[in-house]
Formats: sequence, C-alpha cells, structure tokens
Amino acid sequence: MAHLIVVSITTVIFGVASLLLISRARNRLSEGSIRKYLDNFAICLAFIVVFSIWQTARSIFGIDIQVEGLGTYPEYIFIVFAYIAFIIASFKVLKISEEFGFKEDGRKIEQLIKQTEQAKNAPRKAAKSGRKAR
Amino acid sequence: MASDLLNKKVVQMLEVKEMSEIARGAISRPSAKNNPAISEHAQKPLVFDIFKKEAKSLKDYIILITANAKNCQKAIIDVLKFLVNEQGIAGVYVALNKPYEIMQRNLENNGIDSRLIIFIDATSRAEGSKKVGNCLYIGSPEKLSDMSVAMDQAVKALPTDEKFLVFDSLNTLSIFNRPATVARFIHFLAGKMREWKIKGVIITLEKETEQALLDELTQFSDFRIDLGGEP
Repeated sequence: MAHLIVVSITTVIFGVASLLLISRARNRLSEGSIRKYLDNFAICLAFIVVFSIWQTARSIFGIDIQVEGLGTYPEYIFIVFAYIAFIIASFKVLKISEEFGFKEDGRKIEQLIKQTEQAKNAPRKAAKSGRKAR
Repeated sequence: MASDLLNKKVVQMLEVKEMSEIARGAISRPSAKNNPAISEHAQKPLVFDIFKKEAKSLKDYIILITANAKNCQKAIIDVLKFLVNEQGIAGVYVALNKPYEIMQRNLENNGIDSRLIIFIDATSRAEGSKKVGNCLYIGSPEKLSDMSVAMDQAVKALPTDEKFLVFDSLNTLSIFNRPATVARFIHFLAGKMREWKIKGVIITLEKETEQALLDELTQFSDFRIDLGGEP
C-alpha cells in the first residue's frame, strides 16, 4: 500500500512538472499553430494529471466509491477525456504536418533541377556524339 | 546655340549631382567603420553586379541589404534573378511586404522561375496557416514561431547542396512586434542561417530600421549592401 502511494505521488509530481514546463514553453511561443498544438497537448496532460491525483487521493484516504453506473469509476472519465484530447492533438499535428511539411515541394524542385540539367547537357551530348560519328 | 549651352549646363549639373551622391555614399557608411569585417560597397552598382562580384564564389553567407522604399523591390528582383537564374539555386523566400500572388507575378515578369522557390507569406491575413501550391500562408507577421518552423522545414526540405533564404523584410517585423522580440528573432535567424549553411539575404529599409538593430545585424552578416541613400 505504501509503495503504491509513493508511486502515485511521484506520478503526480511528474505530471505537474510537465504542465509547468509546457506553460513555460507556451509563454515563449508567439501566436500560431505550434502554440495551439501545445495547448491541446497541455489539455491531454491535464486530464491525465487529474486522473493521477484522483487515484493518489483514493490510495491515501482509502476512499472506496460505491456509486452505480458511470460514477463507479470517476477516474475513467478523466482517461476518456484525455484520449479524446489526444485524438484532437493528433489531428492538429496532422494539420501542422500538412501546412509545414515541404517534402513534396522539395521533391518537385529536385525534379525541376534534374530536368533543367538534362536540358542543359542535351546539346553538349549531341555535339559530343556528332564529333564521335565524324 | 542657346540649346547647346542649355545642354552643356544640364550635363554639368548632372555631373555635379552624381559626384555629390558618390561623396554622400562614401560618408554614409558608419557601420563599416565599426566593423572591419563588413565590406564596403558603392551605392551605384546594381545589386546583381555586386552579388556577381562578391558572392559568386562563396558557398554560404549572410548578406544584409539596406534599401530605400524606391529601390527595395528592384533589389529583391536582382537578388532572386542572380540566385535562381544565374546560379540555378533553389531557395526560400519569406515575404512580409508583398503577398505571394503579387511576388509571383513580379518574378514571372522578370523571367525568374518561381517554381524553384518555396514561398512563406506572412502578409496575407489568412485565418490560421494554410498551404497553396509552393506557398505557405502564415497569416500574420506576429506569428514568429510559425515563421521559424516554416523556414526550418522549408530549408531542410530543399534537396540541393546550395540553397538560399531571402527575408523580405526586417522592418515590417518591427511594425508588428516589440523591438526586443525582433532582436531575438534576428539573432535566431542569423544563427540558423549559419547552421543551415545557406546563402542568406536579409533585406530592410534603412530609414525604418532601428540603428541598434541594424548594427547588430551588420555584425552578423558577411557583407552589407547599402542602397539606402538618395533614390
């Protein structure tokens, strides 16, 4: 039991520390997609931290909840919300990758450069082969 | 007879004006005195010629161009013409003054292949960021974090060994952001340009830029091209 409490408290400390770090990072960023993503990530983390706090409190005070239905395991609600927030955050990352991902543009440029080089080298090659033929 | 005299007088006047402009150009370069690493450039030669002379052999550099409102656009076109047409390099263009559509039209009119350029447009007030073709609309010049990420991603996505980044222009950033923020951004940008090993060109309007910021940036850059005198 004591071990469980120590583990729970450590988890809560880690969670709160992560939230503080995110808050500091958020303050440094200017408005925009990255900051919005950080907000979503913070919400996910907040739900998980609340879940951990709830569990820790239960372990410390030995609260046994005996409510029928959804309220039987209130911590599950936090986990469900955390996963919903994770889905939203992941969707946000997908959007960010669509906006800020330039790999496709890079590939197009590479092709263009190759085409240009080929076009430049074509007359030289033709001249060389012409000389050889003579 | 009278027309000959008039012509002579006009020629004399033009010569005197040109001489005084050259003299003024030599005097108006105090930053070069402070930093011997900065090469001094005359005001008259075109940016294209200066680039051809000074930067052709260099693999990576940071060049600061201080212009006035009238010759700024010409300078940008010259720079892009040199980098894209003359050297055949692909790169990134960060637009804070003119929207992508206008810039693209200008480039096409000047025979510059805009397909080799990734545009980051921070002028057009779009709802959030969105990407159209080879342009990413940031939405506002205040979104410096987004701009930094976009620049980083765009530069790293370019497959060539040699690449460039043109930042147009610094003074617009100062309008939308606090001076301390702009100074930090410039530090970041200059550091990143060195890290990326690219040909970096930062353009600013001399009159609109704080002297302290300009001095700071001059120290970071390898060359400074002054076009900021009399138009």
